[in-house]
Amino acid sequence: MAAPKSEAELAKLAILKDELYETIKDHGSETRTFSQADLKDLGVIPGNNTMMLLNIIQMLTNEKLLVGLQLPGGEIGWRWRSREDAKKYTSLPDEATMLVYSEIDQAGQDGVWIRHIKLRTNIQDATLKACIKFLESKGFICPMTNVEMPNRKMYIRADLKPSERATGGPWFTDGELDEAFIKVIEGIIFEYIKTHSAYFSRGTALPQRQPKKGVVTAEVRGVKRTATDISNDDATPAPPAVKAAPPPPKKKEMFLPMPAGYKKYPTVNDITEFIINQRVSTAMLGVADIQALVDVLVFDGLVEPIKVNNRKGYRVVRPTMQDTMSYAKRQQERESHPELGDADLGPTPLSSAVTEAPCGKCPVFELCQEGGPVAPSTCVYFQEWLGLKEKPAVANGTAPP
Amino acid sequence: MLVTAPLAEFCTLTIDEIYGELPSRIYASLLMRGRSTIQQLAGDTGMNPRQLRHGLALLLQHNLLYYHLDAGSPHHVYEANVEHAYNLTRTGKILQMVEEGQGPAAKDVMQTIILTGQTRVGDLIDAYQKRIDRVNRIKEALKAEDPFGDSTESHGVNGDTPPENKPKPNPQSSKSDPLITSTVQLKAIICKLVEAELLISVHKTTFESPEDLLATIESDIKKTYPGGEVKGNKAKAEYKDKVAEALRKQRSESRSLKRKLEQNGLSAKRRKLFDGAASANGTPEGEMDIGIDPQQVICLNYEKCLVELRNRRLMQFAAESFGTTTSFVYASVLNILSKNISRCRDDPIIDHYEKDDERPAPLVVTTAQILDALRTSLDLSSGLGQVDAEKISVTAAEKITEHAPRKKFFIDAEAEVDGDASSDEDEEEDVKPSLDLDYRPATNGVNGVNGTHVTNGVNGTAKRVDRRTRLRQHLLLLSESTQGFLRHCAADEWTIDFVPLMTNLRQAEIDATIENTAGREGIRLVRMLRAKGKLDEKAVMSVALMRKADMLKKLAEMHKHGFVQTQEVPREAKADVKKSFFLWYFDGAMTLERVLDVSYKTMIHCLQVLDMLREKDQHVLSLIKRSDVKGQEDDKLRKIHQEKLTQFLKLERMLLGQIQRVDDLVAVLRDY
Repeated sequence: MAAPKSEAELAKLAILKDELYETIKDHGSETRTFSQADLKDLGVIPGNNTMMLLNIIQMLTNEKLLVGLQLPGGEIGWRWRSREDAKKYTSLPDEATMLVYSEIDQAGQDGVWIRHIKLRTNIQDATLKACIKFLESKGFICPMTNVEMPNRKMYIRADLKPSERATGGPWFTDGELDEAFIKVIEGIIFEYIKTHSAYFSRGTALPQRQPKKGVVTAEVRGVKRTATDISNDDATPAPPAVKAAPPPPKKKEMFLPMPAGYKKYPTVNDITEFIINQRVSTAMLGVADIQALVDVLVFDGLVEPIKVNNRKGYRVVRPTMQDTMSYAKRQQERESHPELGDADLGPTPLSSAVTEAPCGKCPVFELCQEGGPVAPSTCVYFQEWLGLKEKPAVANGTAPP
Repeated sequence: MLVTAPLAEFCTLTIDEIYGELPSRIYASLLMRGRSTIQQLAGDTGMNPRQLRHGLALLLQHNLLYYHLDAGSPHHVYEANVEHAYNLTRTGKILQMVEEGQGPAAKDVMQTIILTGQTRVGDLIDAYQKRIDRVNRIKEALKAEDPFGDSTESHGVNGDTPPENKPKPNPQSSKSDPLITSTVQLKAIICKLVEAELLISVHKTTFESPEDLLATIESDIKKTYPGGEVKGNKAKAEYKDKVAEALRKQRSESRSLKRKLEQNGLSAKRRKLFDGAASANGTPEGEMDIGIDPQQVICLNYEKCLVELRNRRLMQFAAESFGTTTSFVYASVLNILSKNISRCRDDPIIDHYEKDDERPAPLVVTTAQILDALRTSLDLSSGLGQVDAEKISVTAAEKITEHAPRKKFFIDAEAEVDGDASSDEDEEEDVKPSLDLDYRPATNGVNGVNGTHVTNGVNGTAKRVDRRTRLRQHLLLLSESTQGFLRHCAADEWTIDFVPLMTNLRQAEIDATIENTAGREGIRLVRMLRAKGKLDEKAVMSVALMRKADMLKKLAEMHKHGFVQTQEVPREAKADVKKSFFLWYFDGAMTLERVLDVSYKTMIHCLQVLDMLREKDQHVLSLIKRSDVKGQEDDKLRKIHQEKLTQFLKLERMLLGQIQRVDDLVAVLRDY
């Protein structure tokens, strides 16, 4: 490689270098890889001088403004790096730190496991630790946790946010599944689906049908009415309305199923929109996140998907068994009686005959046999169930001998 | 039916409970050793032939045995009829069902038949005649004593006793007030029950076990082939068809009685005459005798009873899903349809048809039929939400599904059924609500909550929606359901695909059991695994949105209960356990078996606990067996004994009730 010959030439190269850098920046993001041909085609270098181009690239690489990397075909390609980032590199004290930082930098939002750094860079443990310590103290990198591999010690560039894959999406806080948050959002979604997919009946019975006002009475029928009668029709007071029947006994408030073909069952998009509009959470909840939660509700057997005209909405199951207490009221109650704890959503599960009898939940069911150490005829659970014996304060694991 | 050890034990215990130890010991031996001759039984049970014959006669009387005589063999072989033995548990339910469906008098007859087992019609009539005579004598005597008694009653002439009888001065007479007051009424009831297929005639193949019957028929048909062998695919198919046809012929024999009734013109129309005032109008009693030969032996038909019981369960299922009004509509549909359904499940051999066109057409019911059958007291306007017409897509609601769903349908609810793709295209129809007469908003003053305050534009008065439209709304709701309650198979024609519907119900029952055992998280995991197949821990965790520790705990707990299974998949050839994947999955069939097993055992335990209680209160129970105490427990027993007795009866009711409830579950899982 020919060395630059004179001051003027160097200045010219410096100008071209800046020019090339700016042009590259114009042509794509930091993730785009430029091959040599791409750079040539930019038309910055006068006369398409390959030698000169390589010289300039070398200068840019030295200043960490370009990052060289191997392309799949064995060719070499480059990506550009912003001046601020480049400055970080140039401020690093030694080669090892620079290598470590570049590994972390390359990993981007996913972060990198410290063992991977060691494997790739071949730096000794002590040195690596020192490098990491230095970078951390400078505020260039910070540790992170990945929900998929929570035990791995990982680092990420300090100015980047860990990717969704690493954090596990909005349902995770600091790498831990945020169950309380999920429960709240779940409750809101369930309430939304419940009130929007079932009909709320206040329980007032339908009023009796009554004859319309101005009905033709029996005496009048058959007698021709005079013209004056007809013209006065509006003026004469209507026959006194039949005294309204006493209001029918109030029935229970309840939810009722919607008629078949109902088009407005809430879809996941509707629910997402509602959640966003209500500003329930500061976390950004996308359609996919809400879908995951709705799926959980489906698996819980609380709502079911229903397709009407290819529009997939969700509706609440067993609408008539849902409780009709409003969300706000329930929330209030929960706050005033925190000792009751969080009740499960939806109606109580259908009962199962097997689990009603003591056997269905018996811990020693497999051992239980007449003549065995535990036998039905001596079973304490049965005695409790039949009310023959008071429930002991602490339930024994097995029947008494 | 697969006879597992707990099932066998339960059947033996039931027979012990009802008929005593002698038959139950014979039965237990038959279950344990398989089919045996009387000599073998004597060897196994150590009973003498006299005892054995007693026991066997009793078991045969109640249709709890099969017997078979092989050609050339001098001895009959006996085999346990487990199905009927199990069905003994359902006696109470069947009686209740008969009472609700056919009236208390029919229940009385049914009860007598169940108590006596197979009965000759003549004997039954004689027995009732005696009872009636006795009651009449008492009545006469009473009347003579008390001239101000209810002299208006005319027993033996009137069709049925008015239920609102005045209270009699003598408590004993009111207790024994018979529901059957004449043999004419009795015969009418028998006819009615035969026609409902709840009673069938006993004939010579009744006691053949299905396997023996099949073997006999197969060998008979094989003889018609050259060399006694069936060769070639075509011949095999033909042979299969012939066997099925012969079996069907055999099966229909038990219904010969019903057919005979129909031929004699004693079917519904005629009978109605007898039921009502006809007998009072002096119709000769003898005319009824054409109906049933007094020598004819009849017995209870459990298959049909199960169909009726299934209807009740399905109605309950509909009530759980959509509310009571809709469930009453559904009950009407079921009642009409099940008139022509003889059994819950088709037999794979008997109901095998080589060609599709020979297969009996699915039963359908029209809207008009349902409307005619609905109770007038049922308010169809309740139980359904009311919304604006423009929020309803008529095309989607009225979608007609011509063909039964394919087998996969109930697993993947989203699967599109053939032929309904076209209905998605004419969406523009939805924009014209004015055409949708069916869905005029019903405005009867019920306020919608979601801003659907519905008022009719004209003058605010209620617009009348006719009953038929309302009925259709309920039917359409049922058709739309994901459970597949109903299928709208043609315009205004409806049918029920029982196989997928029952699969859904079974799944719901299993889900309820799991949910009650493992909680909501448990059922979440199970449903997830059912929907997605085999998953490894990480995938389970991300879909279920559960903490890893919680999830593993729950999965392990359910694995212990047998609800979920694991599969180990090695990552490499060395199959290092530490590096293997563990896939979790849900096996429906295995879980079903498991729940059934637990159910049988629960029922056994209930019976055993009952036994224990009986032993404990032996001294009281032996007292009430004494003839001088029987019937007058209140007067003769000491107070402490009375209290003990009431307590015992309460516990007995509880335990037997629990068995009934568990049986409800077993029925859904196994029989319906």
